[in-house]
Amino acid sequence: MFFTQLKNELWKLFGKKRTYIGFGAFILVQTIMLLMFKYTRWESQFEKMLSGNGYLASDYISALTVALVMLTPQVLLLMPLYVALVGGDLVAKEAEDGTLRMILSRPISRFRLLLVKWSAGIIFSLLLVVALDFVALGFARTLFPWKGMFVFAPMLSTFGVFSPDDGLALYVFSSLFVVMNAIAQLSVAFMFSCFNIKPAAATILSLSYLFMNMVMENIPFFKPYQNWFITHHFDCWLLVFQSPTPWAQILQSEITLLAISATAFLIGAVAFQVRDIKS
Amino acid sequence: MISLNEVQKKFGARVAVDALTLAVPRGEIFGLLGHNGAGKSTAIGIMLGQVWPTRGEVRICGHDVTTHRAQALQKVGAIFEAPAFYDYLSGWRNLEILSHYSAPTSAARIREVVEWVGLTGRERSPVKTYSHGMRARLALAQALLPQPELLILDEPGNGLDPEGIAEMRRTIARLHRELGLTILLSSHQLAEVEQLCTRIAVLNRGCKVFEGWVADVKAAQGRMQLRTPDFTAATMLLREQGIITDAIDGRYISLAPGRTIAEATKILVGANFSIDGIWQHEQTLEDFYLGLVKAASPKN
Repeated sequence: MFFTQLKNELWKLFGKKRTYIGFGAFILVQTIMLLMFKYTRWESQFEKMLSGNGYLASDYISALTVALVMLTPQVLLLMPLYVALVGGDLVAKEAEDGTLRMILSRPISRFRLLLVKWSAGIIFSLLLVVALDFVALGFARTLFPWKGMFVFAPMLSTFGVFSPDDGLALYVFSSLFVVMNAIAQLSVAFMFSCFNIKPAAATILSLSYLFMNMVMENIPFFKPYQNWFITHHFDCWLLVFQSPTPWAQILQSEITLLAISATAFLIGAVAFQVRDIKS
Repeated sequence: MISLNEVQKKFGARVAVDALTLAVPRGEIFGLLGHNGAGKSTAIGIMLGQVWPTRGEVRICGHDVTTHRAQALQKVGAIFEAPAFYDYLSGWRNLEILSHYSAPTSAARIREVVEWVGLTGRERSPVKTYSHGMRARLALAQALLPQPELLILDEPGNGLDPEGIAEMRRTIARLHRELGLTILLSSHQLAEVEQLCTRIAVLNRGCKVFEGWVADVKAAQGRMQLRTPDFTAATMLLREQGIITDAIDGRYISLAPGRTIAEATKILVGANFSIDGIWQHEQTLEDFYLGLVKAASPKN
């Protein structure tokens, strides 16, 4: 019965046009970035950086390198926006539209209903990241060759070059951590959505929370406390490209994100359980 | 079927429902009346476990709604004012989604209900293309899917045109007659309630001010209507003879205890009064309701 309800929840979610805004935006942004990379000085700057470090640029200006370059700002800025948009809608939009009252005249428990909705949100997050990754790689492949991968993330002191096979394996592996980022972002928005507020307010509150974390994390005074900021843990998907791989750090971040997601769900469930559902 | 015992609901300092005790037996069409903000929707919300009562006990089908909501609502269907659906999905998909929150529902059952409410042929169209009347039928279909024994209708006729209201009235009567459902009907439309309900309760500012049989309400406490060219002289004579105790609005008389219409007629005919008619007056529910609300208002 849970899976039937989950299937129905997915029908509702993917039947709405606004669910596809994120997918559409990713395609648009990636197209623009790809063209900019190809036809501006961006590519030549990359070549200089590689040559300066003793690598043959033509070996590493590849589909994998470009896909990762396109992915980084989207994971940081666009993904939270679209995940929060959907997460903020999950409960609050139904309350606003009046369908929540229809559902809750049925003998389903409020906790069960939230669990179904949260699970649907997790599946959405997964699909969004898969689409983001595959579209980035697919688009990059149309204009760039299949060669080695070059990764440069100065904030995390990450610099690496990989063979095409290793690069692809790491690219896919890093996606798992991006999915965890998306789930945590969705859970925060979902939590706000469970309160008696408008869907837009839930989305804005969750984005405010994320951006506040990002700003504070980057204030030098808070450097010693950066583990307390959720956005610090969002960076861990890029750590898989470091050599040697900092497994302890990655594990710590993933456990933190998992704990934040579970806590956000539980806070939302408690808030939803005690509230009155009125027209 | 429904039992509310001393139920109170406060929103902050405001008391929405106060000391509400109500019993709706199986097989009855029970009307819940009251002005806007009287507490009808809050009371229905409490019955469906959507609004938590501040105190008191609510039982549906013998189960406490607060502690055993799932069991209590297993055989309950509900329709709300302006029923909301997933407009971008088909009627059929909406029915699937909503019914699966109760129990697994077969396609055959959905087809059966779609046919019962008269939506066959349009069930695969998106709900956004439905007329108001079709939405009302879809709302009825979703309420009937779990094969309910109790149907709770919260202002079901709101927003419908006269034809839609008449259709809704016929449907409610049919549901009661053919499916034997117990129905709780909350409505502003007093004529609908008068025609459909066997018993009513009236809420005013969160408090129950009346509960009783519609037939009793209409009996109008022994009031008669007298049609005569000289009402004042006729009632003066009847009063002198001790036949009536009151004469109102140039039309109504109240018989004294133990006195009959035949006695009144005999005296008037004997005194050569011309009588166009004299009969038991049936009070409308509207008269009764307005009188009740007026009497319960703080100014009185």
